[in-house]
Amino acid sequence: MKIQYDTKKSLVERIFLLEIVKGLGLTLRRLFSKSVTIQYPKERKELFPGFRGKHALIRDPKTGTARCVACMRCASVCPARCISIRFTTDEKTGGRKLESYEIDALRCIFCGYCEEVCPVNAVVLTEDYEYSDYEREPFHFDMEALLNNWDKFVEKNKIDPERYLNPFLRPRGLALGELPAGKRMDVPEEWTLEGQVVWKDGKAVSAREAAAE
Amino acid sequence: MPENKSESKQTTVQHMAYEPYTVAMGPQHPATHGVLKLDLELDGETILECKPTVGFLHRGVEKLAENISYAQCLPLTDRLDYIAAMANNVAYSVAVETLLGIEVPLRAKYIRTMVMEMARLTGHLLWLATHALDIGAMTVFLYCFRERENLLDMFEEICGARLTTSYTCIGGVRQDVTGHFLESLHAFTDEFPSRIAEYETLIDKNRIWLQRTQGVGVVSAEDAVSLGLTGPTLRGSGVDYDVRKHMPYDAYPYVEFEVPIGSKGDVYDRYRCRMEEMHQSNSIIRQCIEALPPGPIRAEDAPDLVMPYGPQKVVEADATFSSGIIKLVEDRKRFIKGDVYVAAEVPKGELGFYFVSDGRGVPYRMHIRSPSYIHIGALPFLCKGQMVADVIAIIGSVDVVLGECDR
Ligand code: SF4
Ligand code: SF4
Repeated sequence: MKIQYDTKKSLVERIFLLEIVKGLGLTLRRLFSKSVTIQYPKERKELFPGFRGKHALIRDPKTGTARCVACMRCASVCPARCISIRFTTDEKTGGRKLESYEIDALRCIFCGYCEEVCPVNAVVLTEDYEYSDYEREPFHFDMEALLNNWDKFVEKNKIDPERYLNPFLRPRGLALGELPAGKRMDVPEEWTLEGQVVWKDGKAVSAREAAAE
Repeated sequence: MPENKSESKQTTVQHMAYEPYTVAMGPQHPATHGVLKLDLELDGETILECKPTVGFLHRGVEKLAENISYAQCLPLTDRLDYIAAMANNVAYSVAVETLLGIEVPLRAKYIRTMVMEMARLTGHLLWLATHALDIGAMTVFLYCFRERENLLDMFEEICGARLTTSYTCIGGVRQDVTGHFLESLHAFTDEFPSRIAEYETLIDKNRIWLQRTQGVGVVSAEDAVSLGLTGPTLRGSGVDYDVRKHMPYDAYPYVEFEVPIGSKGDVYDRYRCRMEEMHQSNSIIRQCIEALPPGPIRAEDAPDLVMPYGPQKVVEADATFSSGIIKLVEDRKRFIKGDVYVAAEVPKGELGFYFVSDGRGVPYRMHIRSPSYIHIGALPFLCKGQMVADVIAIIGSVDVVLGECDR
């Protein structure tokens, strides 16, 4: 498609500088429309669930500590190689016991692979993005710090740790069979494969409803 | 050689008043869109020669990719063209899928096409904002960022990040879309054409804008092709080449759109092409929303590549069959040997990935054909004989981003 345009101005436009009037008119209209700016420290933007922010290890309400089973998936998938885990193996049962878990947040690129790959939803990137500091040391999270991050996050946002949902803990649109047992959480219907949304008659409806009609 | 010396001295004296001098523009210059350095050789205000220096932002992305798996390379592509990271993600995934012969489910194709066009809008909006700001139109900058912000918010909703999206995965996308996302995107597409009209009110017939852009940085169709320009920069010169039309990928064969073509090849025509492209992207997004089919979002046959949950396993009996234990071994058959070049149309032009695979599951070599690098290579040609002030307009109009150029 050849684009067509005409930049010639008519005599009226040239004499009365109409484009200036039009431009200022637009500015004037916008002056009285609703402001889109957020006055940051006073107002805060509402984040969507699944925002990839500060790391945390979820404190399991039952055991009081991290759920991590030291499967090493997060450490091996991490593209920045910023997770280091040490564990001991029980000679008899072959079970693993977590010794230390460290994340170097300054190396992290916030891809979210670690939380997506974790089969028991132990590690998570919380929706907390305000954690600047003057030194490097506070960004080297060890296990205690990561559990603390979780406690603080829970406290600050007043969430129920049992009900906490995040699209990376249970990816949207995947069949239940594809998920390991630890990731099969109760989710809103539109997160499931059967309830996924399609567009119908000017609004988003679940595919199941659309098929039923 | 004494004779030569005296001779050269004489010429210097004769042309004293016209001796060209060199000005280093950048690497810290607000209008070079990053850390680009241009050595300009000037005769008065006319440019005799322009020598770009690149590499200030080199991070070794291609080399890094040789040590990590295909899935892990994906976040690296966010950092190429950080203005429209989503488009890079899609381009990368399409390339790897072609290499491995993976068929992506239809729903994922539509979602990808949708987010790619959203990325094109974010890219073009930022281009218009900074281009106009460079030439002196401040208001357009603010209005463009208003719409870009809406799009970035939608990115955040589907993938949890605004700029470094890492949204696709090899064989599909990582997250399904939500109803709220579709509704807000549809509402956005309703409104967006009127917003484009607003930008056009401000600059379309603005006489300063016309004087700064018309007849500046002219490149003929033949020259544009031989310089390797792609994208709207090429189409502004009247060459009909768009990867989306000529080598369609994802859902582009199923949607209807036009490729805007300019004629004069100057800065103004390139501006016009991009503005029209925004209208087209808007209509593609609408078509994708309305045609979005239900179904899976990840291909089943992508062993070891589908994030997350580890490699797919195949059952293998114990070699002696004595113990009766069956083993699960990783299925790595898919990592074929060979090489492939696949391109996609990102906001800047044709972004191509060239892979050499030796069957290990990590790229043996990944080459990125980044449009910005090649467009910067065209700057000496475009700037020659122009005025110093026009360099800004020309850099803006070829639309470069240094993260992608230096990679
Ligand atoms: S978000 Fe990505 S880079 Fe950061 S720790 Fe997790 S896997 Fe590593
Ligand atoms: S993937 Fe989860 S369970 Fe496995 S080591 Fe990492 S945090 Fe622990």
